[in-house]
Amino acid sequence: MAQHNPKKKDTIESIEEVRVKGFAKQKMQTDLKMAVSVDEFLASSDNISFIKRGAYAWEPLLNNMSSERSTITIDGMHVFGACTDKMDPITSYVESNNLSSIDVTSGQEGSMHGATVAGSIDLKRKSTAFTADNIWSGAYQTGFEFNNKQFFNLGNLSYSSDRFVADGSIALRKAGNYFDGHNDEIKHSQYNKFNSSLGLAYKTGELSSIKVDAIFDQAKDVGYPALPMDLLLSRAIITSAAYKQMFEDGIVKVWDTKVYYNAIEHYMDDTKRPENLVHMDMPGWSTTYGLVTKINLKSNMFSSEIQLNAYENISIAEMTMYPQDRSKKNMFAYSWPWVTTRFASVSMNNSWEFSENAHLNFGGTLGWNFNKVKYAEFNWIFHPGSPQEKSRILPSLHASYHINVSNFNFSFGTGYGHRAPSVSEGYGYYIYNSFDRYDYIGNPDLKNEISYEGNASAGYKTDRFGIEAKVNYFYIQNYIVGRILSLGSPMNYQSVGVKGYTSLDHSKLFNFSMNANYNILEHLHWKGTLSYAQAQDNKGGNLPFIRPLSYITLLHFMHKNFGIQASVNGDFEHGNFSPAYGEDKTPAYTIFNVSADYTFRYKQFKTMLQVGAENLSDEYYSTYADWGNIPRMGRNLFMALKVSF
Amino acid sequence: MKKLMIGFAMVCITVISCTKAKTDYEAELHPVAPDEAVFKEVISIKDAGYEISIETLNGIFYKGYNEIRLTVTNAETKKRLSSGEVSFLPLLTDINGDNFSCPHRYELKYNSAEENYTGYSVFTEITDEKNNWNLYLKITDSGKIVKINKQIKVQQHSNKNLNMTSFKGKDNEQYWIALISPRSPKVGENNLVAGIYKYNTPKSGVGSEFPDERQFSYSEVNEYTLQLDPRMPEPSMGNHSSPNNKDLKQGDDGLYHGVVNYTMTGDWTLNLIMQNQQGQILKGTVVPTTFTPGVEGVKSELHIDILF
Repeated sequence: MAQHNPKKKDTIESIEEVRVKGFAKQKMQTDLKMAVSVDEFLASSDNISFIKRGAYAWEPLLNNMSSERSTITIDGMHVFGACTDKMDPITSYVESNNLSSIDVTSGQEGSMHGATVAGSIDLKRKSTAFTADNIWSGAYQTGFEFNNKQFFNLGNLSYSSDRFVADGSIALRKAGNYFDGHNDEIKHSQYNKFNSSLGLAYKTGELSSIKVDAIFDQAKDVGYPALPMDLLLSRAIITSAAYKQMFEDGIVKVWDTKVYYNAIEHYMDDTKRPENLVHMDMPGWSTTYGLVTKINLKSNMFSSEIQLNAYENISIAEMTMYPQDRSKKNMFAYSWPWVTTRFASVSMNNSWEFSENAHLNFGGTLGWNFNKVKYAEFNWIFHPGSPQEKSRILPSLHASYHINVSNFNFSFGTGYGHRAPSVSEGYGYYIYNSFDRYDYIGNPDLKNEISYEGNASAGYKTDRFGIEAKVNYFYIQNYIVGRILSLGSPMNYQSVGVKGYTSLDHSKLFNFSMNANYNILEHLHWKGTLSYAQAQDNKGGNLPFIRPLSYITLLHFMHKNFGIQASVNGDFEHGNFSPAYGEDKTPAYTIFNVSADYTFRYKQFKTMLQVGAENLSDEYYSTYADWGNIPRMGRNLFMALKVSF
Repeated sequence: MKKLMIGFAMVCITVISCTKAKTDYEAELHPVAPDEAVFKEVISIKDAGYEISIETLNGIFYKGYNEIRLTVTNAETKKRLSSGEVSFLPLLTDINGDNFSCPHRYELKYNSAEENYTGYSVFTEITDEKNNWNLYLKITDSGKIVKINKQIKVQQHSNKNLNMTSFKGKDNEQYWIALISPRSPKVGENNLVAGIYKYNTPKSGVGSEFPDERQFSYSEVNEYTLQLDPRMPEPSMGNHSSPNNKDLKQGDDGLYHGVVNYTMTGDWTLNLIMQNQQGQILKGTVVPTTFTPGVEGVKSELHIDILF
């Protein structure tokens, strides 16, 4: 799995990082679709599933664990959503045309950027290398999706020379309401997104460069059909400045340092929902400053990456409820009462190659997490006397052994790590969860969640055929969930009660996936994936949002400039559901998809045209992780054009 | 490229400024301009060789609970009275000419540290065209008795956190409950202080001398309990409540102390149930715990509305 690309020593042109571990999905496209959103792209990864609250901003679940349990970063930068209701996962603030790849690392191997249980998702920014000649390159994608009248235009342009590189991108997406398999309109499922980015790099010496980078993202008038409110506006500005130094001799190969700043604002809107008797403003802000610096070391058999991470985040979320008689005074409370999080960690990942066929990955992280809440009176209502400041030490260790025996490959790994409660889990105040219809109260005294993890994989590979099975198992102590509080009375209009975040003694999660591919003919390929997960709390009850047995199988045929793809995916019945968390049984479903593309060159332009259909049979379905059982999109015809040079 | 960078810089500048301003939470906590809450002179009387000065908070007599600080100075010697007795009787005359009083401390207590006499008065009405308040003071200085009366003005308090209520209990006695603290509540835990008073029905006939204080006698009730259930009655709040409240019990100062938690700013109702020493309910009803969004919240028959 480790890639060790040979490095040119004399120039900085080909900065290829030593990738010690993990696996990256290259190319921002799926097997079926060429022009995809970040969510669609991530969905094509085995161990990622999604909680969907509509057509936009899906919450990624890694190893079937909610997003608090994974670290999601952009080029190693920590960014935190500003919405208490998770309407803005970080993946919603980037676009597929400003990313080059997404690194998904499972479990403690992903603790490089910060404490985690489930693993890490690092969104890699597109960055063009320095070139000897002056080169302009770029791409333009446009397309239309008929079901929700989504129209998108994505453009990116790069310039590179021997001293200077610029990468710019701009993206616009606009979609109306989508229609389900019964051809009923899903109201409030529209969205509007604008994203742009600019990266400028300058070579300061033969082996050094500086880079400044910025992303600006704005979403407006986004509907969340599964929630009682929509998004009026969310904006993110994500900036960084980096310095990179490479070394010709010695074991230190690269030193890379980055400072960053990002600010997110998020304003909900409930005025378009006539069923709401109460008008409520719920704005949120999240601001993060940080530093990440790392060095890569390599000697013959040994490579290592040492990283220092530090950031400070402040999260603020307000609730203002308006009385029916507007002349009366508004009611006000903080759902995040100015919560500061400071985090610092030192982490190390090592790869030791014993031979051509065997290597050991091991590493660890020592992190320090500090929380401070400005208006602690909100937390004191349910937790009188809880401390206003809290420090936690978050250790993490992992090791895995990888071996190839002729056509077989095997790996075994283990991990141990802590994570601190998230801002909502620790300090949230009456955060309404429309899935189980409870108001959630954070607990500042929650213990660290402690994960013990084991994983293994076995694979067989020939030129024409490959199969690989992966399993992992997590035993998580002090597993944080919401439990009904008898003493609380709901605050939000739709709510039925109050839940407080508490720690279960433990919970157990098991994930399994199997991938196979077969090249039937030279131009006919087959691929299939089967995945399954199970998770229980300490009393044997099911945990929510655990994927049932699900499958995807895909046939790909190429002939000259033509390509045809057909895929079938679906879930079996979600029988192991969790009524305690508002889940009900979700029936099985099967979805058929097909697409065809044609590639041609015109002068220096490479052009690709694609048409296709998703959910061909117009199946009416919702998945186990659709918030409020909101039905998914019915048949969707799409077409896309990509011109690149 | 330069143009692009300038354009980008402009985008950055417009972006860094937030779209919506954050709420000024501190201001939100004090909807009414915070009263200064310092004692100021409300009346000064020069009569019969004495200078009498009464201080209340802000120098105003409010409807509700008022702490009274009184000094008596000999006009000639300029010496403050310390060994005498001062009695204090507020009297309300209504449009029919009937006289009433209100809960008060008749015999003021001498406070040697401050060199003044202290008491309280819970005015039950404001001064208006129907209601007229007079203060009757009786000073006993070395056997000499001086009586003074003075018209006073009682005003409405803009701070609903110092509201009061009056009612007849199941024991047929007349009761008053007045909020004393917190003057300016905060989100979270607040120490709630209230006074509970009753009218002492006179046992003797009316004396010849006016006013006969025995006809206007009130006392602090002892060892009662006020069960507390704070709610937000606003229809959009569904009669929302808060956790970890404590019922009011009598403290050494004679007042009743409890804890109220306010989960957010806005209109709140303190629903009360008053129990006597034997635990019998004299007034108040249980408020159902059901969450009732969209309708005005049910209140106890004994309640006080506040706002912050």
